Amino acid sequence: MKRSVIVLILAAMLFSACASGAAAPAETAADVPVTTLRVAQQFGLGYAALTIADELDLFEKYLPGLQVEWLQLGSGGAINEAFIAGEVDVAVMGIPPFLIGWDKGISWKVASGMCIMPLSLQTYKEDINSLADFGPNDKIAYPAPGSIQHILLSMAAEKQLGSPTALDDIGVAMAHPDAAAALMNEKDISGHFTSPPYNFQELSQEGIHTVVDGTEAFGSEFTFLVAVASQDLYDNNPQAYAAFVMGIAEASDYINQHPAEAAAILAPSFGLDEETTLKYLTWPGMDYVTTPLGLMGFSDFMLNAGYIEKVPESISDVAYPNVVAAIGQQSGTPSELETLQYRPE
Amino acid sequence: MHILKKVTENKILRQVFFIALLLGVWQYFVSTGKYSQLILPDLGSIWKALVDSIASGEMGERTGYSLYLIGKALAIGTVLALFLTALAMLSSFIADFVKTITTIFNPLPGVALLPIALLWFGIGEMSIILILVHSIIWPLILNTYTGFSSVSRTQLEVGRNLGLRGLKLVSSVMVPSAFPYILTGFKIAWSNSWRSLVAAEMIFGASGGQGGLGWMIYQKRFFLQTPYVFAALFVIILIGILVENVIFAQIEKWTIQRWGMVVQKEN
Repeated sequence: MKRSVIVLILAAMLFSACASGAAAPAETAADVPVTTLRVAQQFGLGYAALTIADELDLFEKYLPGLQVEWLQLGSGGAINEAFIAGEVDVAVMGIPPFLIGWDKGISWKVASGMCIMPLSLQTYKEDINSLADFGPNDKIAYPAPGSIQHILLSMAAEKQLGSPTALDDIGVAMAHPDAAAALMNEKDISGHFTSPPYNFQELSQEGIHTVVDGTEAFGSEFTFLVAVASQDLYDNNPQAYAAFVMGIAEASDYINQHPAEAAAILAPSFGLDEETTLKYLTWPGMDYVTTPLGLMGFSDFMLNAGYIEKVPESISDVAYPNVVAAIGQQSGTPSELETLQYRPE
Repeated sequence: MHILKKVTENKILRQVFFIALLLGVWQYFVSTGKYSQLILPDLGSIWKALVDSIASGEMGERTGYSLYLIGKALAIGTVLALFLTALAMLSSFIADFVKTITTIFNPLPGVALLPIALLWFGIGEMSIILILVHSIIWPLILNTYTGFSSVSRTQLEVGRNLGLRGLKLVSSVMVPSAFPYILTGFKIAWSNSWRSLVAAEMIFGASGGQGGLGWMIYQKRFFLQTPYVFAALFVIILIGILVENVIFAQIEKWTIQRWGMVVQKEN
């Protein structure tokens, strides 16, 4: 009897030790204002403003002494997990993964838009010209379930085939570079819904054509990536938050105004030469713009398709005041910018 | 005190008690409210996710597909392993060959072969089957071969004296005698392949329509449906327990215990 009691006590101690160990980082993050800004990013042209801001020290410009820590993560899912674990202050991601996290109760909001870019579904098969032409053995790759590429494909499927889940059975989750290589070698997959620079690379190859693009699927222009900040950062470290927002704004403007210089800075991190980088940066449809578009359009669709359980009542539920103010709130009828948050009827 | 004594003495009750204790600890940490539901969902929501996914047919479909893949791979793997073992028994030259490739491939985790499988066979069933067969045949060959080689000469001679020849000798003397080894081989093959399957499905995501439990975990993770992730884990554990403690235990009872090859344990 006595021995078993001791064992139980030891077990309880072990559990509570693990528990307090796990809770510790979250508490320190709340108590001490961070002078380090932990930024999660992924790979692609959509993240270019982050690279530029980093290279030109644009975050430090607005908050001298700010330490920026970069976390390279593979997908929106991994970023969500890092956020929940309290390991990240700011992340750049597609609107859908952001909304999934918001729906599930992660306390984060949009701090800035990042870019509008052409997203598209490519195929090498000549006989595929619409979604209806994909057969049961044609696989379509996108980075992950719930990614913006997956959601846009669902939107297109709803428009062309009548059901948002019509193509879920032939969807495959693959990282962008793997899927691009597979498509260009005409192996395994018939279609790839992707974002720059991968769709640009694919389209540069003879015989590969676009089946449907993001704007067709969504119905109007929409923001590809948004910068998302934790409520904790916004509440407890407004200086770092502001420095981040300003850094992104200035970097975005820099890319739009000086694409050649930006290409020179970005080329090494993309593993491309300057000329190709410049070509991609100035590809028709590329726009580094910080006012987000389509926030409500994505959430309405995702609610109807069953990917999330609630939608924001107003923009301020999902965005910080600097973003809400950039969109504005017109008395009487909604302004054009407000209308652009929704999909056209 | 009487109940306490009963609980501490009965093996099954004891296990139930431990499980209840673990669940209690779990629920205690949930109830402290320190952890987000996304990290540590309460037992109720996991249960609800389990019931929901069973009711919607999703869990059944995913589990069915996983088991279908395992079944197919086990069938292929068993035939291959028995064939190679039989060849090895026939000639010592082939035996050395089989032993060598087994030594080379046995330590290689199936999932490590995934990139190569994908290159050779593309995305889909074939690649996963290849990995599963890989994780099945080497332990099976190793154990079957050891089993057959350790059949005692006396038993073989007795069989021959009784007039048993060829296949009859194999099925009446060698297989029963080697059966404990073969069964162990199957146990290792099963647990290897079960683990490889879940891992493989999670790494390359399979394809949406035909994915097993690993794919379900992968998918639910992206939608932050943590209770469903735990529900799928629960089913994986349950199947593991059922196969090892019910199916294999039953086979053991019917065979090696009945043949008096192992000492029956007192419970």
